[in-house]
Amino acid sequence: MAANNRFKRLCSGRDFIADNYLETFSLTDAAKNSLMSPYHFSRAFKETYGETPNEFVIKLRIEKAKQLLITENFSVSEVCERVGYLSLGSFSSLFLKHVGLPPTSYRRTLWKLSSEPFRYPSQVIPACYAFHFLNKSVN
Amino acid sequence: MIKSIAHVNVYVLDQDKALDFYKNKLEFEVGDDMTIEGGFRWLTVYPKSQPQLQLVLAEPQEGPMFTKEAAIKIRSLIEEGAFGAGVFETDDCQQTYDELVAKGVEFIQPPTEQLYGVEAMGKDDSGNWFSLVQRGK
Repeated sequence: MAANNRFKRLCSGRDFIADNYLETFSLTDAAKNSLMSPYHFSRAFKETYGETPNEFVIKLRIEKAKQLLITENFSVSEVCERVGYLSLGSFSSLFLKHVGLPPTSYRRTLWKLSSEPFRYPSQVIPACYAFHFLNKSVN
Repeated sequence: MIKSIAHVNVYVLDQDKALDFYKNKLEFEVGDDMTIEGGFRWLTVYPKSQPQLQLVLAEPQEGPMFTKEAAIKIRSLIEEGAFGAGVFETDDCQQTYDELVAKGVEFIQPPTEQLYGVEAMGKDDSGNWFSLVQRGK
C-alpha cells in the first residue's frame, strides 16, 4: 500500500505539471501536490518516469508546439508564446534539439506531405496503420 | 534484433469514450491524439510510468482493412467481451480496485489470490477485459 500511495502522490505532481505546463510555475509548486520536498520530488520523478520534471515540461510544450504548427495557422512566434516561451530563439533551439528540424521546416515538411490542410500526413504514424486504415502504399 | 514493443492495438467502439475511460478512470496519459489526412484519428495512451509502450485505441471501421460486415462483426465481438486489452500491473490490487470501482469501472472479478499474485478482472468502456495484477513476492 505504501508504494501505491507514493506513486499516487507522485502522479498528483505530474498531473499538476500536465495541467499547467503552458504557464509559469516552480518545482516547489509541483512538489507540493505530491507532498514532497522539491529535491525529493525531482529525484522520485526521475526514478519513476525516466525524465526530470523540467524535461517533462519541455516534452509537453514541444508536443503542443508541433500540434499548433500543423493544425493551426499561427506564426512560429505565436506558437512560441502559446507554449510558454518568451524567447523565440530559445524555443527554436529547443524545438530543433527535440524534433530534429527547426519549427518552420517542420511545418513546411509536414504540410507538403499532407493532402489535407491542417492535418498530419500519414507518414507520421507507423506505416502498418497507414496501410491498413488509409490504404497508403508501403514505400 | 527486436528490442522492445512500442505499440499494442486495442479496438474500441468509440475513441472519445475510450479516451475518457483510459485517461480519466485508469489515469493513463495521452501519447498522441492527432487526425491524419483521410480522417483517421491516431490515438495512443500509456500508463504514466511506461511511455515506451503505448496502447493504440482504434475503432474498427469500414475501410481498407475491414469490409462493412467485418467491422460490424468485430464491433459485436468487442461488445461481447471477446477481446482483451491485456494485463495491467499495480503495487496494490485491492486499493486500485477500490479506487476504480468508485470511479465506475466495471469489474467481473474482485481481487483474488493467484499463484502469481493478486488479480482482479475488469472491462473498459467498450467491453475489452483487462487483468489488474499485483505480483506476488
